[in-house]
Amino acid sequence: MFLGTIIYGLLNSAVLAVMAIGFNLTFGISGVANFAYGAMYIFSAYLSWTLFNLLELPYWLAVCASIPTTMALGALMYRFVLLRVRGQALSEVIATFGIGLAILELFNYLGFVGFEYTLPVLIDDSIMIGDTMVDWQRILVTGVAGLLVAGLWAFTHYTRMGLAFRGIAQDERTALTLGIESDRIAMLSVSLGCGLAALAATVIIPLGSISPSEGYEVLIKALAVCIIGGLGSTGGVIVASFLIGFAERFTDTYISSHWTMIVSLAAILLVLGFKPSGLFGRQKELEERI
Amino acid sequence: MNTTNSSAEPAPARPLLEVRELMVFFENALAINGLSLEVYAGEIVGVIGSNSAGKTTLMNALSGLIIDMRTKEKRRGGERITLYGSVILNGEEITESPPSERVKKGIVLSRERHPVFSESSVLENLRIAGYLRPRAEVRDTIAYVFELFPHLARLKARRAGFMSGGEQQMLAIGMALVAQPKLLLLDEPLLGLSPLMQQAVMEAIVNLKQHYGITVLLSEQFARPVLPVIDRGYVVENGMLALAGTGAQLMENPEIKSAYFGI
Ligand SMILES: Nc1ncnc2c1ncn2[C@@H]1O[C@H](COP(=O)(O)OP(=O)(O)OP(=O)(O)O)[C@@H](O)[C@H]1O
Ligand SMILES: [Mg+2]
Repeated sequence: MFLGTIIYGLLNSAVLAVMAIGFNLTFGISGVANFAYGAMYIFSAYLSWTLFNLLELPYWLAVCASIPTTMALGALMYRFVLLRVRGQALSEVIATFGIGLAILELFNYLGFVGFEYTLPVLIDDSIMIGDTMVDWQRILVTGVAGLLVAGLWAFTHYTRMGLAFRGIAQDERTALTLGIESDRIAMLSVSLGCGLAALAATVIIPLGSISPSEGYEVLIKALAVCIIGGLGSTGGVIVASFLIGFAERFTDTYISSHWTMIVSLAAILLVLGFKPSGLFGRQKELEERI
Repeated sequence: MNTTNSSAEPAPARPLLEVRELMVFFENALAINGLSLEVYAGEIVGVIGSNSAGKTTLMNALSGLIIDMRTKEKRRGGERITLYGSVILNGEEITESPPSERVKKGIVLSRERHPVFSESSVLENLRIAGYLRPRAEVRDTIAYVFELFPHLARLKARRAGFMSGGEQQMLAIGMALVAQPKLLLLDEPLLGLSPLMQQAVMEAIVNLKQHYGITVLLSEQFARPVLPVIDRGYVVENGMLALAGTGAQLMENPEIKSAYFGI
């Protein structure tokens, strides 16, 4: 049972990291806390579902359409709503949360709830590790988590756009004097964050089902990971995902699944109490931040 | 002594940069008051002024940062920045252009207090600066920057925030160069530097002009280190033009000696 808990802790951590990385990226670059993040996650899932089930497009095509659509939605949200309240953190939070609420409650209203709303797994099979059964989809999520972290690191260190992201994140005015347009970069960072939410939905939703309440849960989990890790820090996301991921599974196994949610909330309070900027907050490991 | 061209006599050649009757208000406070100046291609021009004379405001108006500041203030519904007059580059009016457009046209500012990306390495700072330039050209310019500041070459992998003020200043100038300026604006490049570092920076500026034909407009509080190097200078007081002349003329001026030669 111990080995099984370790394995599931690892897989759970990967799920959390994939859920949180887009939220973290947007915040790290432009300082926008995108509270519509969970709604974007659910939006892309419903879109894929609709394209696949109602329009009967091939699944890969449905996914290839819904990820860019979600990115476009994020860009539009920035251009037409966020841009007007840019720089006022509270207004940004209220605006994005309002948009998220509207999207999720619309799906609720339309009655998109139930177990038939799910996305297909990529490989419908599982393997035994020791005496623990692990489905391939979870292994896929773990692979995606690794690729995302490596890919984003390479992106922000070696591409023109990624370097501009890092410039804006560090000193906006200096970046402006070098011809980097801060509004354009911020729009791209919001859009890219939404795209990562869509990608996360594509690989994680097949483990459960699509529902508006899942949207709120994803937002809360992403927030928990980012707050514990230190908003904007990639290293923080990784460490915090492991921390919460393992803590949840061990609570499940050795205490009771009743307490699972409490564990991450307690972890947030604990970290905020001792280190308000998070484990890898800005003051500390500055380099880890994208 | 005032070198501003009157409209009756045409200038010998069209200046690279022309500022006409520039006025900048922050709310109701006047930071720049009817300032006119010009910079010809190949010159090193100095703007000398004491604290809060308006040097940074002028640089921001030339680089377009003030346009960005104005937009952001407007969004916030706060302080209003108002601009009158015109900034003309190569005969083209750019008073209202945003910074990125001006960088594309060849005006690049290195801000005061050597602002570098402190979490990035020296090399990465220079790469970020090459945002608008082709890769191969960026590589060449970086090699040139290391030639210009050999000291910087030894610190390639050092995190910029961990370097001394002088080293950061060299890096800040290097970053501006990577953006390929035709007109390089330097806001107080000597601020807080040791005399030795000041000398190194001034030598580099002369080198830029002599070998690469880059035109430089620099601002400074103290006249002593810059007067021997600049072709022409403008003295600004309270946002207004007080004096103008060649470097040699300004050096002879008794008022300048008493007001701007202190350290
Ligand atoms: N953002 C701003 N809001 C309000 N007033 C400002 C702002 N920036 C500058 N000022 C005012 O404009 C005037 C000129 O300031 P500026 O920074 O251009 O001077 P400076 O010559 O660069 O001074 P220093 O040598 O200290 O750098 C000052 O009176 C200053 O208080
Ligand atoms: Mg200044």
